[in-house]
Amino acid sequence: MLRNNNVVARIFQRQIQTPPPGTSVHCARRFYENLVPSFTIYDVECPDHSFRKFTDDGQYLISFSRNHQDLIVYRPTWLSYSYKQEDCHLPSRAKRFDSFFTQLYCVPLASSNEVICKDFFLYVITNQFGLFATSTAQIHDAPAIGGAIQGVPSIERITFHLLRLEDGVILDEKVFHNDFINLAHNMGVFLYDDLLAVVSLRYQTIYIIQIRESGNLVDVRAIGAFCREDDELFLNSNSQCMAVADKSKLHQSSGNHVDNGVHSNQLNSDNSFLSGIKQRLLSFIFQGIWSEETDKFQRVQCLKKKFYFHFQDYVDLIIWKVQFLDRHHLLIKFGSVDGGLQVSRSADHHASFFAVYNMETTEIVAFYQNSADELYLLFEQFCDHFYAMSRNSSYMNFISSHSNNIHALEQLRSIKYKASSLSQFVKKMMTSLPFSCQSLSPSPYFDQSLFRYDEKLISATDRHRPSTDHPIKFISRRQPHTLKFKIKPGPEAGSLDGRTKKVSSFLFHPFLPLALSIQQTLFLQPSVNIHFRG
Amino acid sequence: MNSQGGISKAGGGGSSATATSSWVSPTSVSTSGKRIQREMTELNMDPPPDCSAGPKGDNLYHWISTVIGPPGTPYQGGIFFLDLMFPSDYPFKPPTFILQVVFKTRIYHCNVDSAGNLSLDILKDSWSPALTITKVLLAIRSIFTHPDPYNPLVPSIAHLYLADRAKHDELAAEWTLRFAK
Repeated sequence: MLRNNNVVARIFQRQIQTPPPGTSVHCARRFYENLVPSFTIYDVECPDHSFRKFTDDGQYLISFSRNHQDLIVYRPTWLSYSYKQEDCHLPSRAKRFDSFFTQLYCVPLASSNEVICKDFFLYVITNQFGLFATSTAQIHDAPAIGGAIQGVPSIERITFHLLRLEDGVILDEKVFHNDFINLAHNMGVFLYDDLLAVVSLRYQTIYIIQIRESGNLVDVRAIGAFCREDDELFLNSNSQCMAVADKSKLHQSSGNHVDNGVHSNQLNSDNSFLSGIKQRLLSFIFQGIWSEETDKFQRVQCLKKKFYFHFQDYVDLIIWKVQFLDRHHLLIKFGSVDGGLQVSRSADHHASFFAVYNMETTEIVAFYQNSADELYLLFEQFCDHFYAMSRNSSYMNFISSHSNNIHALEQLRSIKYKASSLSQFVKKMMTSLPFSCQSLSPSPYFDQSLFRYDEKLISATDRHRPSTDHPIKFISRRQPHTLKFKIKPGPEAGSLDGRTKKVSSFLFHPFLPLALSIQQTLFLQPSVNIHFRG
Repeated sequence: MNSQGGISKAGGGGSSATATSSWVSPTSVSTSGKRIQREMTELNMDPPPDCSAGPKGDNLYHWISTVIGPPGTPYQGGIFFLDLMFPSDYPFKPPTFILQVVFKTRIYHCNVDSAGNLSLDILKDSWSPALTITKVLLAIRSIFTHPDPYNPLVPSIAHLYLADRAKHDELAAEWTLRFAK
């Protein structure tokens, strides 16, 4: 059944035909096959900034100055120009960066010895707030003092800045001292609605922070050494009547950021209590084995082998990454300290575990090893449930995943059947959990029900990719599978030296046929192309 | 597994750590190792109710025990983890201790100090080499049902237990809910 897919035919079709129930948005999105960013302005003259991304509502383009000190925000504007009848070429004065983007403001974010973490940015879509991070340099062999764990680097000062993007006013700041938060690709911070989960790797604490409408960052709770927000207070007020001398050991909190008590057994054998989250985890594992085995002789053997033998391994697990599943549930990844910070690469060799934790009831709801088929099946079938979306962004629902898109599912299955061992495949897939926050572009050009493209070269995931001199093709999913447009990063003629390693990054506007491609070559100024519908 | 760490802690009285590795080969198992293994078999044959224990990793001298808060007590619903550390000359009485028992889960109890150390008369003066791990576990379990306020480690809790039992139980239940779930 071949349909005429030109835009006039489609508009006519739209007039006379009601789309099947529930598919009106899908049908409307088909127009994107006709409106594609097929025109490229190569090597556009533009300010030398590092461009981060378009906000998910398309209102702002976020960029940072090269010295990582200032934030520069642009408003994407649709190019308007007129040309004479004969000459169909774009006037040269239109081929400029500022005919597509208007600078709104430039704000210095970093102070003194801090720099902006250019891989970190979260957008609070409801209030048009932006969350940015600045930090001092990383100290690799930092001593593990004050309850910090061994083997995790330290950063003297990490500051989160909350900005109103409308006018660039800094609304609030939150500082973490001598801590380590994985800021690359937003890994250590997750935003859900107005709630932020920040993972302190050094102090093994998940800080839940609320972003108020007023623009304040308010501490809600800290999960780690304790589970409930007032546990520490309760303990201190109660232990007054206990041995007073021990009180200083039980609790040494300074400022609003450092909690003590986790893993302090290495330093202080007097206080070897399990942290709040570990107590919950171990008792969940214990109860699971206890109730699974009803025969008491079998149970003893089972506990000995599965629980007591691995007890210390469980105790030594550290929180690596966290995401929200909904307002109450967190998906927490636990792993070993030597799992390394380059988690995504080497993690499949190390055992890791996933726990679903309800922070209201302070209960562990589920616990899986990273090789668990059960968790993988949930991931395969209900992947969208892991992409905890804020309620207010409806078009975020159209980001392709293998549980909402048949093509993505086929692709996943073909990798699965090709995999030499299922457990290795499961482990590899599980490295993507918990998901990083706001790491996918909602652009319709990445919608796999509309276009097919080489995912090695480009995808909705916001990452740098190796760049070739060949243009990246976007081919229509529908018959007759025609080439709809090409995205070519780098200079038009290709680079002179084919051997130099180049990386590209792509910033797609969430709904306009507008994209930036930035190709970086070592020691050279990056070349920026603008792709739009001409 | 940090067997060395466990033993050096356990052998605080200067006992040698040689026994740690020797248990691996059955032919050269030390007396204490043999004894602990025999008691483990005995424990597995007849596990006491609501509690269990087993060696942590491959270290026979460092055990973890779990006590499920007995029903009808303020500790009900709690899961309490304890460290059991055996000296290398177990079961004979070394200068420091027979068997060190430390709570790894916070508990509101007059016989457990703020660092989690448990005081139990059978672990001190009333120890007899005829006692076994099973009996020690039973004794630990009994302090949940019957605290001993007359030999307290935390006098204030013991005092509250004697003076206002209801208040004591309420507090103990709150601790269980917060720290032992």
